[in-house]
Amino acid sequence: MSGLQDLKKNLFGGTTSVGRQFGMIFTLVAIILLFEVLTDGLTLTSGNLIAVVSQYSYILILAIGMLMVIVAGHIDLSVGSVAAFVGIVVAKAIQNFDLPWPLGIALGLVVGALIGAWQGFWVAYVGVPAFIVTLAGMLLFRGGNQFIGNADTVPVPEGFRTIGAGYLPEVGPATGYNNLTLLLGLIACLAVAWREWRSRKTRQEMGAEPAPLWISGLRLAVMVGVIIFATLRFAGGRVGTSLPVSGIILIGLVLIYSFYTRNTVSGRRIYAVGGNARAAELSGVKLQRVNFFVMTNMGILAALAGMIFVARSAASGPQDGLSWELDAIAAVFIGGAAVSGGLGTVSGSIVGGLVMALLNNGLQLMGVGVDLVQMIKGLVLLFAVALDVYNKSQGRFSIIDSITRPFRRDEPPAAVPPVESPRQTDKTPAAG
Amino acid sequence: MSKFLTKAVAVGAAAVLALGAASCGNNREGEGQTGDAPAKGFAADSLIGVALPSKTSENWVLAGDLFTNGLKEAGFKSDVQYAGASTTVADQQGQISSMVTKGAKVIVIGATDAAQLSTQVKQAKEAGAVVIAYDRLITNTGDLDYYIAFDNFKVGQLQGQALLDGMKAKKATGPWTVELFSGSPDDNNSAVFFNGAMDVLKPLIDKGEVVVGSGQKEIKQTAIQGWKAEGAQQRMDSLLTSTYTGSKTLDGVLSPNDTLARAILTSIKGAGKPTPIVTGQDSEVESVKSIMAGQQYSTINKDTRKLVAETINMVKTLQTGGTPQVNDTETYNNGTKVIPSFLLPPVIVTKANAAEAYANDPKLSPLTK
Repeated sequence: MSGLQDLKKNLFGGTTSVGRQFGMIFTLVAIILLFEVLTDGLTLTSGNLIAVVSQYSYILILAIGMLMVIVAGHIDLSVGSVAAFVGIVVAKAIQNFDLPWPLGIALGLVVGALIGAWQGFWVAYVGVPAFIVTLAGMLLFRGGNQFIGNADTVPVPEGFRTIGAGYLPEVGPATGYNNLTLLLGLIACLAVAWREWRSRKTRQEMGAEPAPLWISGLRLAVMVGVIIFATLRFAGGRVGTSLPVSGIILIGLVLIYSFYTRNTVSGRRIYAVGGNARAAELSGVKLQRVNFFVMTNMGILAALAGMIFVARSAASGPQDGLSWELDAIAAVFIGGAAVSGGLGTVSGSIVGGLVMALLNNGLQLMGVGVDLVQMIKGLVLLFAVALDVYNKSQGRFSIIDSITRPFRRDEPPAAVPPVESPRQTDKTPAAG
Repeated sequence: MSKFLTKAVAVGAAAVLALGAASCGNNREGEGQTGDAPAKGFAADSLIGVALPSKTSENWVLAGDLFTNGLKEAGFKSDVQYAGASTTVADQQGQISSMVTKGAKVIVIGATDAAQLSTQVKQAKEAGAVVIAYDRLITNTGDLDYYIAFDNFKVGQLQGQALLDGMKAKKATGPWTVELFSGSPDDNNSAVFFNGAMDVLKPLIDKGEVVVGSGQKEIKQTAIQGWKAEGAQQRMDSLLTSTYTGSKTLDGVLSPNDTLARAILTSIKGAGKPTPIVTGQDSEVESVKSIMAGQQYSTINKDTRKLVAETINMVKTLQTGGTPQVNDTETYNNGTKVIPSFLLPPVIVTKANAAEAYANDPKLSPLTK
């Protein structure tokens, strides 16, 4: 292998269906660069990055759940309505019964789980197609939102707003940055370095040839560079701002769900069910349980997304959640999931969601009207998926994959200990 | 092994590499100016942001055009944005954030949901921008600076009075049977219009001279979500079926605006009933035609040109560091504080005075001839 091929393969960690995602990453970078130029450098300012994260975190959270639903071969049209329903239930409960806000959040998650379980029951145990069940849910819970809220806007208390509009506190010495964000960045750098070292060691132990040292070094440098860049940006915003709390929740969820869908048996079963339900069942996967789980899980994440939006808006309103399902579904498909199920990754969906988010943000910064923005987003969705369909019909995963055809699957053994867990444990307390 | 992280990070990696990874050591933006009073004036060619609701009524489209041209004439750079039709609140939140990012000195907001913007208003205030609520009062925030609108309580009163006058002209003595409609419950103005109208109608309802046929007198029963025409039409259809099937006649309908008024008239015509007195507001082209044709009874002329012109005057005053003129510092409490307001007087328009009222309006005056 030439050095360049080595680099491509190792830097982006994989050779197989990553092709499309790989393409999306470049699309994302291209969009960022394009708007960075078009907006005279506004796109990558601290203030804008912080705003983008807090504006789109709830859509990205929905995309995580939606990815799992779509991988399992279903669809969920009800997420927006469920989010709005949970939002109004929580806002009303806090207003009418003086519920402390942390209990309000707990209540919201429980309501979300119950709604998810309700839909999961019909999908998994009765066998009604998810499209129908969630179409019904879309009406049911939108109506429920208006019924409970009287189509009124209900404000939520200051404390509750933290999860949607809150920032990390300013503590410690005056460094000119938000110290807690710096700390998170440092932890992320260490985790990345440790993971790199660990993976090299594992490969050696397994008798596999580790990537050349210079590749490891470069990869590490790139990652650490990005983390430092992002950290300084998020830590360097206006005083009193930092990486938004909703962004921290999102990062925590992405890490947990990536690990879950990638490295655990039950996570892989979702792919098995979506890829070929019959074969999965014959191999001993309990179909009903998997389907029930993905729907319930979607309910919980929709509830969380709804509460984050309510917190950000400081009030629950009758128009919450309108067409969120479409944004979430678009993110998942742009991120490389297959319409037929069985394919797709959490990270891909996040990239897909970010493409939409930055496109939206960049056009807004340029002062392009909403009408045009919608048209552009529609075309992006169509072309992203069309490209994928075309490439599949040509018998390859993507254009980029076809360029890099020489490498086929020669992945390292999968039996690597869950290297991500330390990062999770480091981050989760901050997210709570 | 977890390829995810690698990839996730690679996303930004490429970005950084491309950018030459050159961004370390920036000082925090806005250090030391957080929460200060708005600066004393600003550059004459500063950016002024205008965030308006979705293009559901002619008024907003007109207001947008007037802002774009007016701000340009005054020498400012303008960024006029409408919310999308389906994702209004989220769109508007994003647009206001973007205006703050772009460094707008004054942000004029015609809110889609007046209670869901406090985070963005705070963000704007902290970045040093002055926030003016245009037409709709933004609630639940202490960071709003000014409110400019037509006197909406007065609008309601005029509507109530027009309804009475119209019915009296047709049928000299009561009791008159009416139905009440009110605007979207998430619009702060809806209740103000309704209460203004009830200020006139309530004494007569109590005396039994005006009868609400369906008995639906509460604002929650009469509200039309999102000011949607189809909502008003559906409600009127239901009312006609439930209440006016027999010999009972409907003398008047209180409608908060023109879009709803026309939907109500469509519904009544569809049911083959005689046309009652229907009020309105906004002077939309179709409604002015309808008034001249003797269908809709009245509308309200809130000259958007004047309101936009006054708003731009406020911006000009702020630019020079002055304090904009207000004429009401008591009425408009947004739940956190009383917002200094500038209120313009509305004008009631019926067939009788339409020619006079729209004399200066190039679009409407030909219709009244």
